[in-house]
Amino acid sequence: MKIVVAIKQVPDRDAPVRIAPDARWIEERDLQWAMNEPDAYALEEALQLKERYGGEVVVLSAGPERVGSTIREALAKGADRAIHVVCDDLNARDALGAAKLLAAAIKPENPDLVLTGLQSEDVGLGQTGVIVAELLGLPHATLILHVDKTDAGLKVKRELEEGWFQEIELPLPAVLTIQSGGNKLRYATLMGIKKAKTKELRSINAAELGSDSAPVVALEKIAAPKKQKTTQILSGSAKEAATTLVEKLKTEARVL
Amino acid sequence: MSIFLVLEERSGRVSKASWEALAAALKLGAAQDVTAVAIGAQTEALAAEAAAKNVGKVVRVEHPLLARYSADGFLLALEQVVRREEPKCVVFPHSYQVRDYAPALACRMGQVLIGDVIAIDEGPIFTRQLLQGRLTGTYRHRGDGPCFVSVQAGAFRTDSNALERQGGAAAIERFTPEIDAAQIRTKPGEPFREAAQTVDLGSAQRIVGVGRGIKEQENLKLVEALAETLGAELAASRPICDNGWLPMERQVGSSGQTVAPKLYLAVGISGAIQHLVGMKGSQCIVAINKDPDAPIFEVADYGIVGDLFEVIPAVTEAVKAAK
Amino acid sequence: MIHLLPTFAEPRHFAPGEKLLFAALAAGSFYAFWRRFGPILGKILHSKKDAGFHLAPIGRRVGDFVWEVMLQAKVIRERPAAGIAHALVFWAFCAFALVTLNHCAAVFGLGFLDPAGRLGRIYFYFAAAFALACAVAIAGLFVRRFVARPKWLGEVSPESGWIAFLIFALMASYLAAFFVRGDETAVRVLWWAHTLTLLIFLPLLPHTKHLHLLLSPATVFLSRGSFAQIPPLADDEDFGLVAGKDLTQLASLQAYSCVECGRCTEHCPAANTDKLLNPKSVVLGVRAYLNEYGPASEEPLLGKFNAQEAVFQCTTCGACEFQCPVGIEHVPIIVGLRRGAVNTGEWEDTYGAKLFLALERGSNALGMSATERDKFVEKNALPIFDGTQEYCLWLGCMGGYDPRGREIVLALVEVMRHLGVSYGVLRKERCTGDPVRRLGNDLVFQQLAESNLAALSQSKTKKIVSICPHCVRTIQEDWKAYGTPPEVEHHSEFLARYASRLRLSSPQEQGTRGAHEKIVFHDPCYLGRYRDVYDEPRQVARLAGELVEAPRSRERSFCCGAGGGLAFLGEEKGERVSQVRAAELAGTGAGIVAAACPFCNTMFRDALTQVSESRHGAQAPELLDIAQIAARGLAESRKS
Repeated sequence: MKIVVAIKQVPDRDAPVRIAPDARWIEERDLQWAMNEPDAYALEEALQLKERYGGEVVVLSAGPERVGSTIREALAKGADRAIHVVCDDLNARDALGAAKLLAAAIKPENPDLVLTGLQSEDVGLGQTGVIVAELLGLPHATLILHVDKTDAGLKVKRELEEGWFQEIELPLPAVLTIQSGGNKLRYATLMGIKKAKTKELRSINAAELGSDSAPVVALEKIAAPKKQKTTQILSGSAKEAATTLVEKLKTEARVL
Repeated sequence: MSIFLVLEERSGRVSKASWEALAAALKLGAAQDVTAVAIGAQTEALAAEAAAKNVGKVVRVEHPLLARYSADGFLLALEQVVRREEPKCVVFPHSYQVRDYAPALACRMGQVLIGDVIAIDEGPIFTRQLLQGRLTGTYRHRGDGPCFVSVQAGAFRTDSNALERQGGAAAIERFTPEIDAAQIRTKPGEPFREAAQTVDLGSAQRIVGVGRGIKEQENLKLVEALAETLGAELAASRPICDNGWLPMERQVGSSGQTVAPKLYLAVGISGAIQHLVGMKGSQCIVAINKDPDAPIFEVADYGIVGDLFEVIPAVTEAVKAAK
Repeated sequence: MIHLLPTFAEPRHFAPGEKLLFAALAAGSFYAFWRRFGPILGKILHSKKDAGFHLAPIGRRVGDFVWEVMLQAKVIRERPAAGIAHALVFWAFCAFALVTLNHCAAVFGLGFLDPAGRLGRIYFYFAAAFALACAVAIAGLFVRRFVARPKWLGEVSPESGWIAFLIFALMASYLAAFFVRGDETAVRVLWWAHTLTLLIFLPLLPHTKHLHLLLSPATVFLSRGSFAQIPPLADDEDFGLVAGKDLTQLASLQAYSCVECGRCTEHCPAANTDKLLNPKSVVLGVRAYLNEYGPASEEPLLGKFNAQEAVFQCTTCGACEFQCPVGIEHVPIIVGLRRGAVNTGEWEDTYGAKLFLALERGSNALGMSATERDKFVEKNALPIFDGTQEYCLWLGCMGGYDPRGREIVLALVEVMRHLGVSYGVLRKERCTGDPVRRLGNDLVFQQLAESNLAALSQSKTKKIVSICPHCVRTIQEDWKAYGTPPEVEHHSEFLARYASRLRLSSPQEQGTRGAHEKIVFHDPCYLGRYRDVYDEPRQVARLAGELVEAPRSRERSFCCGAGGGLAFLGEEKGERVSQVRAAELAGTGAGIVAAACPFCNTMFRDALTQVSESRHGAQAPELLDIAQIAARGLAESRKS
């Protein structure tokens, strides 16, 4: 099976979030970067599929120069080769614009399967995979926890709301977006890093992949959310505090 | 120009999230402009429900091939009705199902879905969360063509009068899309729940965690009652499992499971790091402990400092009353 | 007067037939010896060269050699009675060197010690004294091994019995020769008895653990250079001890030096709590591997003779290595085996992977957001280190994120403020990498060491003080592979320097509270055995009351169970190490258990309560870090 895994490099979860002066995005200067976690699960799924059924895992990522470190991490974990779509204005594109880039890079590869994480940890739209499927004219399924190959194609396990699951059968080639937590992630090893040094990493300029259209949806400004997390200690008698708690859980936290 | 509201079904009825989407739709235009869309193989009941709400009209998009959800089916059906009616906006609840097809639908129309919106302001300007809630961003739709929007569950209130209809039921139309069986490429199976042989705290949405503060094994029944009332799973910190009062598989912490439910109620748990690392990712943490300096309060959203033997029964009662 | 004492008798001359017989037997004996010893020596020499091994400083090596080999100091100190007996046997062998040489030379008329001459006489008496002592000692050791059968010696080995018999025979035949003057036949018989015993003994050496006679002096002399030292990886192809071809000369030499005394196992926390790990078995497993596959083999080391599971039960407490009288360094071997499993991805462990992933991306081993540490620093108004303060106070993962660790930090901060010592904490810290280093993940460790060293040099840090012995060790020793770390000390060393300024009013003046409180100090492995710091924390602990010692204390301290990365792995099998130690500490009757490591502190917190609960609800002793004891002392003196 030839599997393309689309991964995104995102700011590290621990990164201090500072809004840039023009308030259009965050300050990227001193940020640490890491692989988007759902994409890490997608990569893990791809590697496990390769271990079970043989084939090749190609990792693909779009973004500026710095994305190279995340791509090499994917190679170190076991991907066979990589494609880097060099693009300095990823932030300025909308989901359709980003998906067009990826689809253009994927098409010539003619993969059996395209995997990507459910959503990104920075923008969190969760749409790229679905749009890529639409652009490539391939069937897709989202929120996938487990993938098995069948004679007719694939059988996948999809997560539904409230603790329900569903199995879906679909033909190959297909696109799947992978939910976090389906597998146990593997750690990067010294041996993996060493092997990665000899693996192919091809760079393509975004311009080569076709023109980009103006975005239909624009992120105009970012801001800090109004409510910050503080601990509310509820006072009063046991009964009073309990009533207040339930009230707040219902209306404020909206978990009841 | 009409505003489409795509309804979603839950156990034979319109889902609560769909009504929240209606509240959002009403921010984009007048109620009479809202067209509620019920989609499926049998939509009579859903349409009737919608017709009783404050909408302009209801469209029943029906086809036998829409009996079970599939991305291809819903995509084809909705694309046809959208192209026919040409709404200026299409509003969805941001559910798993919508996430599966709405982006593709938008793409097919040369648009991009503005997903998981938490607020709609004059403009219209759509607000959504970024960086896992650490920031918010405002979006605007540019260009021609419909604007596709999905709204986050719980972001728009349904308890106002705005959703109430004045006068008789709204008009109901029918639309039969053209769908060929060959066009539906995925074959979905029956939804199922995991076998309840082992405890799967990982997928529990609500968890009540119990710690040393419970003192004796027989006091567990207090907490069990609370968990049952809440529809929550029972978990414990290590000492409780060590004593054998609860099985090891219910242990949450560094040497047990890591959980991130919507609601975690920590009862009589001090908040030692070994336990914290197992539940700090929970969406909402409530701590009940008699020690005001217990570290658990530092990670809690809500806390009650008190005797758990009084507080827990009180909370159980309050939850029952609120149901 | 000396003529009245018995004189050693040896044959005056040897017939040509006897000379021939002797030569033939000696040749045969040497041949048999070399047939077995040659290949062993070959295996050792054909093993990989040790990267980063330096003979210098030679002074230390000579010192260790004299102390441990010639004076048998470790052998005696850790097991006195058996140790002295062994020492006597060893010294007898040394004394006999000249006697044996003379014995063989005399056959060809080249004897240089004249039993009748003054010098010869004195020497023979000298040797006789040792022979007597040796005979008694070996008899005693025989009884110990075969009758008393101590647990740690393991299964009874018949070969030990034969060797003991041979040694006894050597000594007896020597001593007997003092009493047969005049009887030529007896003299000759005894001479041949002695000779045959000798010639049978020699080839047996390489077939038994008595090979250590030849190897262990070299093993002690050629140690790595410091305690529990993890060697650097040789090159790009080196992933640790994966297969035989990765075994280095030192590892092979050490594997063949093992005398199976079991002192390592006796002090091992895992072995003492019914786990699979047995340090003696690890070393003997390497030896068995070398015997079967040799040093060039690709066969995995963690396979037939050593189990992966066992190797990951080690807390790296170092008690094994510390005890070993023949210079075996267990910690680098075990960590080397772990490296082989982790650097290649062979090791599949949920918790281990979680730890590695947390440190691949994040700043701390607990997987918590760095903002938690920021909040702690801000909430307590801890000054930020800006290069002007004297000390950089290193919080570490426990000090920055663990509630108990934070308490220790705050106590230390209180003391530092009182002493007027300037300090600051770094804005950002990453884990020193101790757990991943001990678990054998060189990739993550390198990343952590390099990024920390860069940050520290940028912040112009000159001196670090830390509450955690693991951080101290890693910064001072393990980071050396990637740069030059700043000076670092443990807070017990810091506090001890100021002990006089921390002293409470005298016990009499204290009145009721705490004057006669008994306090037991638990020596952390990474502070005691690893750093040789035993007195400084006691100087501080003494402030709280009367110091009592646990049965196993100082260099024999029994691990709390958290080291070697185990604090981050899942549930341990069998009895909990922390509970065994907690029971021992509580059993001293002390009201306060003093700790000097946040990991020990965390391990004992639950364990002490559980142990006390099981003792019919007895009150658990109070658990305090020495920083908290010092801070409490300040509060006390401020009150009075």
